[in-house]
Parts: sequence; structure tokens; C-alpha cells
Amino acid sequence: MLSKNLTAASTRPIILGVLKQGRSYGYLIIKKIKDMSGGKMEWSDGMIYPVLHKLEKEGLIVSDWVMSKDKRPRKYYEITEKGKLELQAEQEQWSQVTAVLDMVWKGQIPKILPDAEV
Amino acid sequence: MQKFDLNREIKAWIRSFRKFRPFDHGSIREMELHMRDHIDDLLTAGHSEEEAFSIARQEFGDVHDIAREEYWNISKKRNINSIINNTMINSYLKVAIRHFRKHKFHSALNVIGLMTGLAIVFFIFLFVSDERSFDQYHTKKEVLYRVVENQYYSGQPVFPVAVTPTALAPALSEQFPEIIRSTRASYESLQFQLNDQAITEDRGLMVDASFFDMFSITILEGDISGFENDIKALVLSETLARKYFPDTDAVGKSIKLDDEEFTVRAIMEDTPENTHLPFNYLVNFEYYLSFDPERNQNWGSNWLYTYIELDPNADPAMVDNKITMLIKDNSEDSSTEIYMQPLTDVYLGEVDFVVEAPHKGEMLYVNIFTLVAIFILIISCINFMNLATAKSEIRAKEVGLRKTVGAARGQLIFQFLSESVLLSLIALLLALGVVVTLLPFFNDLTGKSISIEEFYSLNRGLNFLLVILGSAVFAGLIAGVYPALVLSKPMPAITLKNNGHSVKSGGAFRKILVISQFTISIILIIGTLVVAEQLNYIQDIDLGFNKSNLAYMRAAPEKAPLLADELRKESDVLAVGLTNNHPGYVMSSTSGFEWQGKNPDESMLIHTLGVDEHYLSAMEMRIVEGRDFRKGDSTSIIINQRAAEAIGFEEPVGSIITNHGRDFTIIGVVSDFNFKSIHTRIEPLLIYMEDDPARLFIRYKPGQEARIKEIAETAWTSMFPDKEFSIGYLDEDWTEMYKAEKRTARLSTYFSAIAIIVSCLGLFGLVSYTAEQRTREIGIRKVLGASVPGLFMMLAKDFTKLIVASLIISVPLGVFLMNRWLENYAYHIDISALIVTETILGVILITMATISYQSLKVSATNPVNVLKNE
Repeated sequence: MLSKNLTAASTRPIILGVLKQGRSYGYLIIKKIKDMSGGKMEWSDGMIYPVLHKLEKEGLIVSDWVMSKDKRPRKYYEITEKGKLELQAEQEQWSQVTAVLDMVWKGQIPKILPDAEV
Repeated sequence: MQKFDLNREIKAWIRSFRKFRPFDHGSIREMELHMRDHIDDLLTAGHSEEEAFSIARQEFGDVHDIAREEYWNISKKRNINSIINNTMINSYLKVAIRHFRKHKFHSALNVIGLMTGLAIVFFIFLFVSDERSFDQYHTKKEVLYRVVENQYYSGQPVFPVAVTPTALAPALSEQFPEIIRSTRASYESLQFQLNDQAITEDRGLMVDASFFDMFSITILEGDISGFENDIKALVLSETLARKYFPDTDAVGKSIKLDDEEFTVRAIMEDTPENTHLPFNYLVNFEYYLSFDPERNQNWGSNWLYTYIELDPNADPAMVDNKITMLIKDNSEDSSTEIYMQPLTDVYLGEVDFVVEAPHKGEMLYVNIFTLVAIFILIISCINFMNLATAKSEIRAKEVGLRKTVGAARGQLIFQFLSESVLLSLIALLLALGVVVTLLPFFNDLTGKSISIEEFYSLNRGLNFLLVILGSAVFAGLIAGVYPALVLSKPMPAITLKNNGHSVKSGGAFRKILVISQFTISIILIIGTLVVAEQLNYIQDIDLGFNKSNLAYMRAAPEKAPLLADELRKESDVLAVGLTNNHPGYVMSSTSGFEWQGKNPDESMLIHTLGVDEHYLSAMEMRIVEGRDFRKGDSTSIIINQRAAEAIGFEEPVGSIITNHGRDFTIIGVVSDFNFKSIHTRIEPLLIYMEDDPARLFIRYKPGQEARIKEIAETAWTSMFPDKEFSIGYLDEDWTEMYKAEKRTARLSTYFSAIAIIVSCLGLFGLVSYTAEQRTREIGIRKVLGASVPGLFMMLAKDFTKLIVASLIISVPLGVFLMNRWLENYAYHIDISALIVTETILGVILITMATISYQSLKVSATNPVNVLKNE
């Protein structure tokens, strides 16, 4: 199970990433995420909505109610150009974090003496 | 067991979201759909409805957490814009402005009415705060008191006197440890020598050195340390210093005052306007005592003001009790009790003291004006209420629509209140403009010198701001609250269906408002007429002598008879009489007279006036019994009718009155004449032949003021080449004496004019509105043959009823109130039927004129124009 903080921090890139694949609505997004994490990320389904609304207010995604005759109406979210840039920035940040963590896991930590001991 | 109903459970679950503010309608719907999708999937996976709901709900998570997250989204972007959007202020403002534009005439009426009301409030605030600021600038004001007297005489009301004996002040500070300091203060007019000319300077104050430690006096140059030991020390105001020493530094210089060399010790700032005790220069009281040190022990004659400084820890009431009998204890025969009057109460004090300080206000006027301000503000608020409720039908559609799309009543009330507050704030700005523009005029009217700069200071400015903003918002709220309640009430379905015609627009309430408006206005009108008439009465009252064509001057006592003889030679001079007192201000009085048959336990205060043998005839006073004085009548006296009555002589002429062992024979009785303000009843008076009277009263031919001045000046200059010449006219003095009344009369004229104008503005608006409403009806009536006069009558009838109703209420009330005011005067008019008739006719005329314009306009309209629009 992932910790709450980590989940919260990763939510934004995950949602943006999912939406980059194409527009989607809340329930479907959650389903995809759960699928990807194999149920290892602890998510309350409802928590996705505040995040979606926040992303929308920041202009990273836009929403649109879609009505169809025999299906339920759905509120579809779509990533914007600004959202794509944001996703790229997030990706770079996470890569840096994983790169550093990678070295940590492999024990490749450089030996630098503190000033006083030189 | 009840069957599980999925739909109902979902609904109930969704309902729990509604109590959280962050969720709007859209997001709740979004979450509901999420839930339904999830349940559908779970059902497909083979779960029962109940299981599916339970799992989906659990996985959805706690609604509180979601709400908290969502709240962050909202709260972060809260700024002015979001507040405006959320509270719909934008929409209110837009609608308000549109409404003002569409109904320019009524909005203008509203704003002008409120502006007038607010302007009056500001003016009166300025006036009242100035009146209340008197003597507040003394830092020790909390512990400073003036000691004043109550004198008691049998059969007469308490006689309050502001002046006290010489010995009182030193005795107070010596005998009572609670009294830290005391000072005497007596007004002097000394002659200043400027080059070879002598100029009499008024408002010199003779004080003890402790005066400087008690009162706040700003010394600009020099210091007052030498004042105490120098009996000829002089402290000059800045203005006087500049007058007498224009080029040099005055401090240390000497100057002749009444032919004695004085040294200027210090220059002080001019005393502010708002003090009861203004002075231009100060001299040492010791100078007066130096002529005769015995004077310091005098308990008999009351002639100067006594001020004391109390220990801050002392209980004023206790000290007051202790000192009451001090004069009685020191002076046998005295009936005088003393008490302390807080310094800050002196100016607006209610007691009418004899020999009051130069500046004296009237609490009565302060109260009356405050009341008038409130009245006029109420009248203008009523206008607003009336017009707004009358127009409510127009707004009913808007209200219906707003309600349909979800406006709560509270929001609507807020909308209408903010609209009226907005209007009153506009009115406030205009009113401020009016106040600034008309301030000089107002100062002239009230005799004040208020400047707007005074309100730049933090304290007063803040007060002013508080009052004006407060009254504007108050007016807005008061004016708006009733319309807001009425307007927000109607049921939308009904108003929208009936095209807005279902609102009861508060007809009865409006009528009551109009009646109260006119009641107030009419009372003010009656007040004005009564004040004006009383004033005329005072001006023309039979004083018992003829004050017209009478000039007076003062001369050295030994040369006064010579000057009088000189003047009598002139053909334009009809008579010259000599006396020791001004006839409007006879202040000397004594209780030391004895006569046969007098009750020895009683004492009677009798005023005394010293004259020469020409005085009574020059003043045109009437001898009703006996004869006038002749030269050499040194043991003869003349009494007035009031004295004869009070003493109780059957045959006054020939009776004897004794004073300190000397017998005086009454040779005549003079008809009562006013020798004080006519606020006071004529009191017993005894006239005797004065050995050296110094005041000349000159009766001259009508219209010869300028000539008399010329003659008098020539005579004066030849007799006193080095003395300043001055002359006064009794008519002018009389006008001066009744300045306060005159001021009140003028002010109340303006106030009642404004009140009636504002009321009529409201009535005008109301009539025009009613007429507008009934245009179609009138058109049809005309087509069917109604005449213009008939239609006019129909329209005017309703309003005339209201005016008549207010007349019925206000006339008796006004007469009652004004009778109370008139009781202040010993001699006053009776409110005549004429005043009442004048008021009634005036009000009916003015209101008819107001009603007529609109009514005639509507009844004269061509019905075709009206009906074709339908």
C-alpha cells in the first residue's frame, strides 16, 4: 500500500497522464488508475473530484457535460495545452526523483568528506 | 423487514452532500452518476443491490474529506471579484443603476430629499458640537469649578448670581484643603496709551497669579513667573501686542494703562472663540488691592467671578456641601448660599445668572436644533419610503423573477436595502458639497465661526466622519427597510401571472407616513411664526420709556454735567439726562432698606438707580404719582409701581424709606419700565439723585444719528482732547440683547421652510405617481364626459384628506409646545387665532399648489394619447 502523502502527490500527474490518452469522466479515470496500480494505491473514489475541479480551475483540463439519448449524462474532462506542458514538467520532476532514488537503492552514494575533516 | 430500495438509498446518500457548501449542483450530480456507474458494474459482477451500494459507498470515501478538499478549491480563489459574484452585488448594482435611469424623476426626488435631510443633520451637528466644545480645551477642566450664588429674599424667587465678593476666593483655598487653588477674575476696560491717544480696551481680566496654573493659556513669549510679585504686570494677547508694539518685541516694555506704567511680562495666544470667559489682556488682581488692602476682606459686594481648582481625589459633592454657608458665615444679614458649577457646565448651564460671563449658550436651543435635525431627517426618509413602496408594483416583476430562480427573501431584502444605502451615500456626497458651500452662510446665520479645517484634526474629524457616515447609513437603512420588506414579500407565481399587479403597496401605511410628515412640518411652521411674532413683540414692547432716538456716552463723573450742558445748547438735542447705569442692565441692588411696617424677619431685594433731575424726562418715563426730581432733592427718592406694590404703601408719596440710618422721602412713583432683559419680570426699583453720575443719555430729533455723533464728538474732543470718543445707541443695544432670539427666529424660518419643501417634494412625487397610475382611468373617464375640474377634484381629494388630518393633529400640538417656549419670557404674546389661521391657510395653499400641478397635467391630457398606447 502506498502512503497517503505519496498518493496525494502523484495524483496530479496520474490524472493528467490518463487524460493525455483521451478525454474521460470521473468514474472511468478511477477505474483506469485502480487497474494500473493493481489496487496498491489507496484511493477514495470521491477524492478524485476535488482534484479534477482544481485542475480545471488552474486551466490544465476543461470539462463538458455530454448528453446522449440512452446513456447517462457524463461530465467529460479533456487535457488542455497548458495541461500537457504541466504533465511534461511533472514527468521531469518525477524522473529526477526516481533517478536519485535509483542510485540510492543501488548504493551509488558519492563519498564526500565534510569540510571540517579535509 | 423492509425491502432494500436502491434508488431511495442513493437519493438519501446524495442528499447528505447538500449540507456542504463547497458542492454545487453540478458536482453533486457528477458524484451521483459516478455512484450509479459503479453500482451498475458491481451488479454486473454479481453483487446484490444492497452489497453493491455498500461497497460503492465505502470505496467512494468519507463525504467530509471530499468536502474539505473541495472547500480549498473555493476558498483559495476568494477575492473581491468572487465575493461580488457570489453575493450577486453585480446584478444588484446593475439593476439599481438601470432603475435610477429609468425613473430619473423619482430617483432625483429621493436623492434631493435625503441630501437636504443629511445636510441639515451635518449643519446641526457642526452647531451642536461647537456649542459643546466650550471650555473643553482646558486641560484641568475636570477639576475646575466656578463658585456661584443663590440669593434668597422673602416673597421672591431664588436670585442666582454669577459674581461673588472679593474675600471669597482666598477664603476658599485657605479654609478647605480640598481646594488646591482659587482665583478671582473681574472684567476691566482700561485705557491704553498709544502715542498721545488713549484707547479703551475691553475684555481685560484682573486675575490672581494662580489663574495661570488653573486655566490653559499658551504663552508665546516671555514668562509669567514675574506676574505674582509685580502688581503692574501685564500679559497681552498676540493681537494686542501687535497693535501696541507693531515693530518691536513687546516683552519687557512698559505701557501706560489708566495713566499707570505697566510692564508687559508675556505674550499669550489669543483666547479661542469657544470659551465662556474670553479676554484680551490680563492684569494682576493685587493692583486693585494695592489701592486699599482692606478690600481683600470685603464680603459684601458681589462683583467678580471666583474659580477654584479641586483636588482630583476630593469628592465634589462633599466640598460643595462644606462651602455652602461661607458667605453667610462671614457676612451678617446675608441670605446668600454658594455652590460649585463645573467649568464645562458654565456655557450651556440652564440657570440664568445675573451678571453672566460674556459668552453664554442656551441648552434649550441646542436641544431644539437637535430635535429639528432628527425631524427633517425623518421627513426625508419618509419621502423615500413612500416613493419606494408606491413604486413597488414596478419592481414586483423583478422580484418574482428573482424568486423563481432561487433568490431567498433575505437576499432580496439585502438587495433593496443596499439600493437605498447606495442612494443615501450618493446623497451624502452631495450633502457634504452643500455643507462646504453654505458654511459661510451658516456661520453668518448662527454667529459662529466654524471652519471645515477644524475637522481635519483626528479626534473631531473622526467624530464627524462617524456621524455623517452613521447618519447616511442609518437613513439608508430606515428609508429602505420598509420598502425592502414589502417588496420582497409577494409570491412569485401570483405576481408573474398577473403582470405584476398583485402587490399591496402599503396604501394605509403610506398615508400614515404622509400625515406624520406634514404634522412635523406644520409644527415647525407654527414654531417659526410664534418665534417671529414674539420677536416683533419684544422689539415693540412698551418698555416704560422710549428707546428710540436715544444715544449715550460715558464721561469722567466730574465733567459729565459740563458735557451735558454743552450738548443741551444744540438745537438737535432735545434733552440730556445723567445716570450711573445703563437702563438695560441695572445690576446694583440691595436688601438694606427699612420702612415703617416692614416685617423685620423679611428681607426684600430692591434695585437702585442713580440719576439727575433731567434723566426721567429725557428717557420719557412716566410719573404716575407725585413729581419728578428737582435740583437739590438729595433726600428724595422715586420708586416704581412694582416697588410701591411690593412694599405695600397705601399712600407712597410722602412715605419714608431708611437706608443705614438715612431717611429718604418718596416724592413720586414712576410707571414700571424694563431695566433688565424682558426675560425677567420688572422688579422693585428705587431711584435716587446720584451725586456724580457719569453716563449721559441724549434724546435727539428723529433721524439725526449722524449729526448727534458729530456734535458729541466735537464737544468731547474739546473737553477731553486725549481721551478716545465713543457713543452708543439704545436701539442697537436692544437688538444686541435679543440676538439669540433673532438668531433662533432666522434659523427656525429656514428649518421650517426646508421641512415643508422636503415634505412637498415627497407629496409631489406621490401625486405624480398616483396620477401616472390612473392615466388610463382618467382617459376613459374623459371619453365618457368627465370634466377637468371634476377630475382634478377626484385626484386632489385623497391627498387633501391627509393634509387635513395632519392639521388636526399638529395645530393643537404645536400650540401646546410653543406655549411652553413662551413661558420663558416674562412678557410674551398669546398665540393668536391669526397665527393658527395663517398656518392652516399657508399649508393648504402650498400643498394644493403641489397637488395641482400634477393633477391638472393629467386631467388635461388628451385621452386619445393615453388610450392609444394600451
